[in-house]
Amino acid sequence: MLELRRVSKHFGATPLLDAVSWQWPAIPDAGGAEVVALLGPSGSGKSTLLRIVAGLEDADAGDVLWNGQSIAAVPVERRGFALMFQQFALFPHLNVRDNVAFGLREQGLSRADARVQADAALTGVGLAGYGSRTVTGLSGGEQQRVALVRALVTQPRLLLLDEPFSALDADLRVTLRSAFLNDIRQAWDGQATTVRRVLLVTHDEAEARQMAHHAWRLHGGLLQPLW
Amino acid sequence: MTHWRSIALGLWPALFIGGLAVLPMLRLVWFGATEPLPFAQQGGDFWQGLLAIWQDDYLRGRIVWSLTQAGVTTFLAVSLGVPVAWVMARWRFAGRGWLLQTLMLPFVVPTLVAAMGVLAWWGPQGVLGQWLPWTASESPWLLIAGNLFFNLCLVIRAGVAGFSSQSAAQFDVARTLGATPWRTFWRLELPHAMPAILSAASLVFLYCLGGFGLALLLGGQAYATAEVAIYTLVAHELELVLASQLALWMLLFTGIVVGLYAWLQMRHATPRGADVMVPRDLQKKQWWPRIGIAWVWLVCGAVSLAPLLAIFIKALSASAATWAHVLSAETGAALFNTLRFSAAGLVVALVLGVCHALVGGRYWWWRMWGLLPLMVSPVMIAFGLLLVVPHWLDHWPLLVGAYALLAMPLVVQPMAQALDALPTAWADAARSLGATPWRVWWRVTLPLVRPALRRGAAFALATMVGEFAVTLFLSRPEWTTLTTLIYQHLGRAGRTQLESAWVLSAGLLCLTLWLFWLIEKPSKRGSHA
Repeated sequence: MLELRRVSKHFGATPLLDAVSWQWPAIPDAGGAEVVALLGPSGSGKSTLLRIVAGLEDADAGDVLWNGQSIAAVPVERRGFALMFQQFALFPHLNVRDNVAFGLREQGLSRADARVQADAALTGVGLAGYGSRTVTGLSGGEQQRVALVRALVTQPRLLLLDEPFSALDADLRVTLRSAFLNDIRQAWDGQATTVRRVLLVTHDEAEARQMAHHAWRLHGGLLQPLW
Repeated sequence: MTHWRSIALGLWPALFIGGLAVLPMLRLVWFGATEPLPFAQQGGDFWQGLLAIWQDDYLRGRIVWSLTQAGVTTFLAVSLGVPVAWVMARWRFAGRGWLLQTLMLPFVVPTLVAAMGVLAWWGPQGVLGQWLPWTASESPWLLIAGNLFFNLCLVIRAGVAGFSSQSAAQFDVARTLGATPWRTFWRLELPHAMPAILSAASLVFLYCLGGFGLALLLGGQAYATAEVAIYTLVAHELELVLASQLALWMLLFTGIVVGLYAWLQMRHATPRGADVMVPRDLQKKQWWPRIGIAWVWLVCGAVSLAPLLAIFIKALSASAATWAHVLSAETGAALFNTLRFSAAGLVVALVLGVCHALVGGRYWWWRMWGLLPLMVSPVMIAFGLLLVVPHWLDHWPLLVGAYALLAMPLVVQPMAQALDALPTAWADAARSLGATPWRVWWRVTLPLVRPALRRGAAFALATMVGEFAVTLFLSRPEWTTLTTLIYQHLGRAGRTQLESAWVLSAGLLCLTLWLFWLIEKPSKRGSHA
């Protein structure tokens, strides 16, 4: 389980995170995926906190723990946390299939096996036959699903979502939110015993209310519980 | 990238440039400052000796002529090139794309081939020059024409980029506020493009000031520039002290222009907006854009394209005896040397250039350090190396190192730009998917910057294949390359020798363009997983 202990980060002289301490809450009856939201306006430091958890940035002080063990010194590629980016960050030089297979190849799978698994995962979210397409030719919603599948196919311990709907049109956002959790359940490990944990960063409270079991607001460098 | 990884990567290019460019420059300055000067021997001190160079008619004349030819070329390149750039940025016409691409040609044409092209077109026995009454065998205009061949396209391309980044909305606002097209040009378009034009102009001045091959062939002794005089003093008269004194003055002038260029770059960087002006189609009744387009073809044709064509005309009109003379073991050996030195230099330039670009970005001084070899003339570098490591002159790695030094900035520049333009989210995404930093570089960064790397490699290779100044200084007889072989033919008497130089120039031009195309040609995009 994720835990933060007095994590601080400064932007120049301004404290972005001020000795933040926090622990993943217990969520009974999560319905297949435990979702916790982190709310806050632009520039409040929520994306920075997400990057510190992912291991892409170091905190100035404090510690990040997983199951009671510090992971501050564990490099990003060995943390087992998948991060889905605001603009999806699909690799433009790879087609849809090879984007999804990217993480599998890093786990040591052969190219052929990785591609088979990638195709299966794409089929699971309704993108069968999309494997050979270029990512730049996809719609915003399709790009989002590919990015989600790419993150989940590696079976991460924790899924980090950085404003996953902000790059989409307002109408599409509402439509896709409800399907998104289903996609997560589909694309992640199919075993019923697996606990799927999602940390969602967003500035949209309606989005958080629709998707998250619990939410905190990051304000003035501190985390305040909302629900 | 971590601090230590940056240091480990950056150390090698930093040491390379420091050892092969900065150290020779410092040695040159030190040598000039400490050795007794011919002019100061009669009781004068160092400063008197330094200033006494200006009292020597010949040496003063070399410095003044160097500055004059650079100034005249810059003025002509801007005067001819800016109208051409404006027309090309504003109007769509048949052959426009081809012409824009063809204007890249002078960037890859070897200096010596360009000089031969200018002689073949404008020279006293040239295709056009023989009909011109004012072209004498030793005319200052031949060197100006050679300078323009290389530098006009630089102004045109910079100008096209500058004019093309003009905001369409700003242009429309100016027109609705009552400005005529002519007034809009002077009050809006030209000021907007001016930073790019001024930067190009300072580069033109810099290249003309430090140019060697063109000046040696086209200037002759009557119009020898300071660079040619330095070479003559070192290679033929063994006057190293005088040469270093002259070099000190040229370094000073070069430094001033480099400073001006860097200042312009920093102060006047204009971001490209989203609503930029796109070139328009010609309307049936518009006659004045047609005059402009005719001007574009006339200027580009006469200055940049015709000299290249003239080389082939001269080569094809050579006698059968000349062709037999050219197809000899001597040419084969020169070709082999050209290819092996260039290939070895390319490997070094690529490795060090990529290392430098990967570290760079955040610090402007690091960028400038990587581009330093581009700013210092090859003659100065070669002369400096001659003073620093005289006992290494019979070791070919020194020549390869000098080649790589001159080519490295051509790799650094496009690579640094491509890396700057790469969103960090891609590398972050790859890391979060389990890729180590090395795997991120191999699987994400490298495939995405590969076009820039190919472009850099193509320019670097073209530069080394046609390298002349450093080769002439450092080369030994058994290391003769194609450029030095052409120069040797020109120094020998007889019609066959001159014709051999034409044929070899045409061959070298074809070789350079073929190698450039081979590396630069677009690769078929496919899966990289």
